[in-house]
Amino acid sequence: MKKSMLLVPVLVMSLMLAACGNGTSADSGNSGNSNTNTGNAGSATEGKADNSGKTGSSEAISVNIWDNNQLAGLQKIADEWTETSGIPVNINVVEWDSYWTLLEAGASGGEIPDVFWMHSNTAQMYMENDILLALDDYIAADDSINLDDYYPGITELYSSGGKQYALPKDHDTIALLYNQEIFDRYNVEAPTDDWSWDDVYEAASKITEAGKADGIYGYAADTSNDQDFWYNLIYGYGGFLVDTDHKTVGIGKDEAKAGMEMVRKILTVSTPQTIVTETGTDSLFQSNLCAMISQGSWMINAFYTAEGAANYKWAELPYCDVNGNKTCDEGERVSAYNGLGWAAAANTKNPDAAYSLIAYFCSKEGQTKQAELGITMAGMPGVSEAFASAFEGMDVSAFIKVEENGTLFFRPYSRNSIAWSQPITQAGALLDAWQNPEDPAVMATACDNAARIMEQAIANE
Amino acid sequence: MKKKKMTAAEKNRALWGWMFITPTMLGLIILNFYPIFNTAYQSLCKTGDFGKGNTFVGLRNFQSVLSNPETWQSLINTIKYALIEVPFGVVIALILAVFLNKKLKGTSIYRTIFFLPMVCAPAAVAMVWKWLYNQQFGLLNNFLGTKIAWITDSKIAWISIGIIGVWSIIGYNMVLFISGLQEIPHDYYEAAEIDGATGIRQFFHITVPLLSPTTFFIVQTRVIGALTVFDLMFMVMDRTNAALQKVQSIVYLFYDYAFNKGNKGYGATLVMVLLIFIMIVTLVMQKAEKKFVFYN
Repeated sequence: MKKSMLLVPVLVMSLMLAACGNGTSADSGNSGNSNTNTGNAGSATEGKADNSGKTGSSEAISVNIWDNNQLAGLQKIADEWTETSGIPVNINVVEWDSYWTLLEAGASGGEIPDVFWMHSNTAQMYMENDILLALDDYIAADDSINLDDYYPGITELYSSGGKQYALPKDHDTIALLYNQEIFDRYNVEAPTDDWSWDDVYEAASKITEAGKADGIYGYAADTSNDQDFWYNLIYGYGGFLVDTDHKTVGIGKDEAKAGMEMVRKILTVSTPQTIVTETGTDSLFQSNLCAMISQGSWMINAFYTAEGAANYKWAELPYCDVNGNKTCDEGERVSAYNGLGWAAAANTKNPDAAYSLIAYFCSKEGQTKQAELGITMAGMPGVSEAFASAFEGMDVSAFIKVEENGTLFFRPYSRNSIAWSQPITQAGALLDAWQNPEDPAVMATACDNAARIMEQAIANE
Repeated sequence: MKKKKMTAAEKNRALWGWMFITPTMLGLIILNFYPIFNTAYQSLCKTGDFGKGNTFVGLRNFQSVLSNPETWQSLINTIKYALIEVPFGVVIALILAVFLNKKLKGTSIYRTIFFLPMVCAPAAVAMVWKWLYNQQFGLLNNFLGTKIAWITDSKIAWISIGIIGVWSIIGYNMVLFISGLQEIPHDYYEAAEIDGATGIRQFFHITVPLLSPTTFFIVQTRVIGALTVFDLMFMVMDRTNAALQKVQSIVYLFYDYAFNKGNKGYGATLVMVLLIFIMIVTLVMQKAEKKFVFYN
């Protein structure tokens, strides 16, 4: 009798557990959505509407990305894939900061989207822990994909232990963005493709001086503008942040410090950091409160669709005049490049469909479409020309020209870059120099501190 | 064990008792107890990626947490936040409650207005305040005609954050106070009035002492709430904000280590330290209850 009495609660318990299990999975789906909403108010409704229409189908492929600017275009390509495969695709946008938190928590709990973006910051960690589906067998059996077609830096990034875990989605470069109207207003010559960072400094100081009363500054950059700003100066002056062995730290070395010294000079005539951190460089630029910023090709769409787009112009990324001869010599114009990867979850219920979708995105056809739609430049060389003409009325050729007359370096990374990439932008490291750009000694110390933080983080990897 | 035969009715009752508490028990075990013990265990581990490959390291995490000045700074930040939120949140709410407990026209409208912040999502509240505080475009600087860096100057940023905390909690405290006020018999006030006591004397000699159980409950729950604050700092302060180090709470630090830097063991240790701290504070408050709280 006693036994059976215990049995009932146990039964009830197990029933409830089963119910709980269902409940949680539905919940986690929703929380993914709400994350989208907070991150990107603009797209939230769109993404949500898509989902509610399709959640009924159990075989839908779920996709996570972090860039709201690319959602519409990628959904278009995905819909074309759906037409032939019959499998619906739900694309969720989760803003960058939450993206990795969510993905890591999901990977620990075994619930991640079928297909998602990978980034150099974390790829190695995900590959080593068998979170990603190895694609080699699929690639071997697929005529539309040939790994040699892509930028080698990106293919290499997404391979580990001889296996390929993601296909290159795109690549990006950096250019200088300026507001023609502000240059005209203060009678300053607008940037050209032949500018060096010294020219940027000269122009910025003129505008900052003239625009004092209006609160307008010549330049704006935060510590977090790394790949799109200060990384490029470190490499342009011959230094490196993390060497190609992905272990050796170089920000404390003289060449890197020379680059950061140029950064410091520009900061003295830029928007103060307290303003930049509250409002953001992109918002400041779009509010006509700063004349120049440097930005990556992934951001073009945001400026193309902005209210004042008619005044926005792109110039080639300035070169670093290391030898001071006022001409751009070999190796002085240096732009970071990075490439995202399309990866699939190792535990996806439908690996064939997941790969098929990835292959569709990464095939020559998909890559060309991606460029034509102006989503991003392609992950393979030779297909990006279409990208330059995707933005009618805005000349974005600066991003492509730098590949021909400049040097590209791959965005520096180590096994777990997240452990240092943010800390070095905070107080106790580079932020100190941003706070006090007048003093060269502060920048030098900040670089040393950043080097120490990075060395420690990389030692713990 | 003592063996005693249960009657059929008793058995039946015990059975139903079990069934009724099962949902709550399950919720507690799965959502509270299991994570608590898991966190305690993780605080003793060097955690691997994706929750795999944890290695036991004993108290080494505690050693590095306690020897890191960052920990103590954020603990001080958290206490500073609590020192703004709790006293101001309680006093302002009490005054409002006393006024809104009177039979005046439109009290329900005012009650609703003051309670509204409680209904808003904290993230939305913080976003709105972030823009109010904005140095360049913020309404606050616009109205005052100032250029104050409300949330980037480390000398005032903690106060700015505290103000948001007070603003969001007043309504909730007020509703609790109103319900407490309605339990005070009206006779006391009548008697006091006959004896010629002024409104202010009545407030300090009748309302405050008779309300002390409610006040104590609010203070205790709000102290714990304030010590675990996270969302305000997270939403209002950008990562590159220079005042962050002087404002970030200990839970924010936990989030940073556990989720941004992927060091779950260190993060778990931080919350264990916070847990111990809150336990001590609660213990002290329980002792104080016997001295200051008046139960009739």
